[in-house]
Amino acid sequence: MKNKRSLFAVPYVGWMALFVVAPIVMVVIYAFSAASGGFTLEHFASMGTYASVFTRSFWLALLATLICLLIGYPAAYFISREGPRFQRVAMMLIMLPMWMNFLLRTYSWMSVLENNGLLNRFFSAIGLIGLVNGLFGTNLEYFPMINTQGAVVLGMVYNYLPFMILPIYSVIEKMDGSLLEAARDLGAGSGRVFWKVILPLSLPGVLSGVTMVFVPSVSTFAISRLLGGGTQMMLGDLIEQQFLGGAYNPHLGAAISLVMMVIVVVCMVVMNHFGDGEEQAVML
Amino acid sequence: MKKTNRGGSRFLIGLMFLFLYLPIFLLIIFSFNAGDSSAVWRGFSLHWYSELFGNRLIMESLYMTLLVSLLATVISTAAGTFAAIGLYSLSRRKRDALLVINDIPMMNADIVTGVSLCLFFVAFFQGWGAFAKWINGMQSAFELPTRLTLGFGTLLLAHIAFNIPYVILNVAPRLRQMDRNLVDAAQDLGCTWMQAFWRVILPEIKPGIVSGALIAFTMSVDDFVISYFTAGSSTSTLSMAIYGMTKRRITPEINAVSTLLFLTVLTLLVIVNVREARQERRSASMEPRKLTWMEHLAVRTSGPRWKWVKRGAGAAMACCFVAVVMFLTGATSSRPVVNVCSLGEYIDTDLITQFEEETGIRVNYQTVESNETLYSLLKSGGADYDVVVTSDYMIAKFIEEDMLETLDYGNIPNFELMDERFTNLYFDPENQYTVPYTWGTLGIIYNTSMVEEEITSWSALYDDKYAGNVLLINNSRDALAEALFYLGYSANTTDASEIREAFALIADANRRGVFQGKVSDEVFQKMEGGNAAIATYYAGDYLTMAENNEDLAYVVPEEGSNWFVDAMCVLKDAPHKLEAEMWINFIASTEANLANMDYIWYASPNREALEEYPAYYEELYGEELDQETYEIMAAPPEVLERCEVYENLPPETLQLYSQLWVELGT
Repeated sequence: MKNKRSLFAVPYVGWMALFVVAPIVMVVIYAFSAASGGFTLEHFASMGTYASVFTRSFWLALLATLICLLIGYPAAYFISREGPRFQRVAMMLIMLPMWMNFLLRTYSWMSVLENNGLLNRFFSAIGLIGLVNGLFGTNLEYFPMINTQGAVVLGMVYNYLPFMILPIYSVIEKMDGSLLEAARDLGAGSGRVFWKVILPLSLPGVLSGVTMVFVPSVSTFAISRLLGGGTQMMLGDLIEQQFLGGAYNPHLGAAISLVMMVIVVVCMVVMNHFGDGEEQAVML
Repeated sequence: MKKTNRGGSRFLIGLMFLFLYLPIFLLIIFSFNAGDSSAVWRGFSLHWYSELFGNRLIMESLYMTLLVSLLATVISTAAGTFAAIGLYSLSRRKRDALLVINDIPMMNADIVTGVSLCLFFVAFFQGWGAFAKWINGMQSAFELPTRLTLGFGTLLLAHIAFNIPYVILNVAPRLRQMDRNLVDAAQDLGCTWMQAFWRVILPEIKPGIVSGALIAFTMSVDDFVISYFTAGSSTSTLSMAIYGMTKRRITPEINAVSTLLFLTVLTLLVIVNVREARQERRSASMEPRKLTWMEHLAVRTSGPRWKWVKRGAGAAMACCFVAVVMFLTGATSSRPVVNVCSLGEYIDTDLITQFEEETGIRVNYQTVESNETLYSLLKSGGADYDVVVTSDYMIAKFIEEDMLETLDYGNIPNFELMDERFTNLYFDPENQYTVPYTWGTLGIIYNTSMVEEEITSWSALYDDKYAGNVLLINNSRDALAEALFYLGYSANTTDASEIREAFALIADANRRGVFQGKVSDEVFQKMEGGNAAIATYYAGDYLTMAENNEDLAYVVPEEGSNWFVDAMCVLKDAPHKLEAEMWINFIASTEANLANMDYIWYASPNREALEEYPAYYEELYGEELDQETYEIMAAPPEVLERCEVYENLPPETLQLYSQLWVELGT
């Protein structure tokens, strides 16, 4: 009977070969071939031109991940110490924005951050802009916020914060309470319990959260397009431009995708080295 | 637990929720705004909700999103569950290896998954095309379609592909926890494998299946990037529609959609939560659980004589499911249709309805942001348009690369109405491929309340005086042409050093922070809202902006500029050529040109329409058309004299353009 059950795996193996492996093979083929056909390495050779895009993407994504961690970890920790009702409602509220569309969430910030937007109107209404001008002798009519790197990072943090909170929360919540009691009984103060027990045990959740925020951040193009106004070009924009944008060159686009993919794989291997892979991405 | 600093931690949690929800609440509040601004309150109104239900683009894409998400969730949940069961009956080594591959779509960046699937589909279509031609050549009993494009099918496959891993990830831990002996015990007690599956395995892994399905649905609804690369041109999900809109003018209809979505989700979540809480209370009081109707059915029909009935019912259900899918996907293709693609917000939408009513042909109207984007879209196989509206130099490129079909002008009698200034132009000297759509100039738009002097030169674009207030046009051809004009060169130069000099001018201004951003149709909301002082765009669009902001002025700079003709053409092998020609003929008529001119403010190439427009305007609005406005729309000869038409540049020059343009972003 056992053999019959393993037959269930066969269609899925076929499916994966077709829709997971074959597409990636296509990317590799495109990356190593010239527009006129034939093998070439020129796309990788020209990668140096885009070094600044790579560094900017990684820098902004790293920043966003760090901020998410700084907000998300305490949030997850504090929520897990509340009663079950509170926890349930809080988790629901954290996931709720995810069912609204990702672009709607990003768009909601556009009208807030514009030069003539809500935040600037609010600042000038309470006299903050006048105050800053008086203090620093500047001549601002508004605070420039949209189309800056700060706006892009804000957009990433806003969109991906739930991806940081959920895995951390689910790890802390499942933590064995008797371990904490044992630590306390052995005389550890609450700070020590946190640093010596809770933090190390929640590390898999943190690692999974970091991956789940970093990967979409580093490859985004919609956020940088909407909140960065095209001035903060990221890897995602670069790839999108080669496929559906103004500079048609799918071979170069595939090469950049491949480089990014390799970086993600390296990150994954490093992550798995630290945490137990199977516990990752437990979201609900 | 210590209770000391709970107040502090709750305060921090509250702050985080404020951050998460404030923008959403603002969206909701402004959906009730009477005005169309998302920053200035003009009173309460439900206007945008009624507009929303009349907005075909949003409603169709909402339907598409729900359809794709639901189908993908159902299919991937079923497939993922069986796959997980299969995987867990393999040896550990094999299973781990397969699970690594399973993780790839989850760990990869969305854009890589999207791009890889797009390349795969396009390669498959090419292979299929050759295969179908070969088969069709071999026999004549049946004919295989030779031309497949990205669309609903590929979108659904892509969604299933990225959903299955999430289902497996959620079902797998449950399977791992399950005692394997349970299944053996059930079978020893006389259960068939199927019975064991329904009565032992399924209840055991049900929570995993439910959470897997929930995540799959969330991912599907929320996805933008993968859909963007795999849906092609004729299928659009809600996120794609919003992305298209945010690049153009954002109307508060989006706010209305968000509000409705938010409320729906909120209601659903509250219901689910209340139910869960009730169930928990019940299980806490150890009350025996009642069997669900499905379990009842399973118990009643467990005898061997039900076996064939059940198999038959299963097959019938599968058939129904397939039939529903085919009906839903095929419903749109049963009516004659014509797929039109145009640049930006560029038509009086009433004309679409009028054409549909007159002919019964459905118009699938899509837009792209620039000529270059259209080219990429066509080349990457993502589009199945019949008619495209594009600019002169791009048409030359299309013709050169044999991408256009010659038109049957017998079907387009209205072509006779075109002014000869706009026919037989350099890009189509014999006029075999095109019918002109509009013409106009490129110029500087500036806000007179923010700029004190009168602007007459391109130099204003690169001037530190306006640092942070200039919008650069987001396509390499126009942006470089402006710099070339300023330097006194031709916009059609192939001299690399001249182009590089022009680029240096832009790059330098960019470094000094002169440009606030690079924009295409976002320019409307930026200029109308007074969020930037200077931009460059097309005359017709300036007139639209000026309707909403009286402070704006337009000038064709003294150094000269570009004048362009946009024309309609039919793509090679277009599946609906006759319908396409009917559409072109309809749009070329004098009535359509007048309506369109009034709506988009671009000058018409139709001789009668161009002459009659001032009278038409007077009759419609009861006031005389301002001569200055008319001359901005239809530039007089003395302005056109200093303007130049773009020509198609040789490939090396185009490559330089692309390369420099990417460099500007780095």
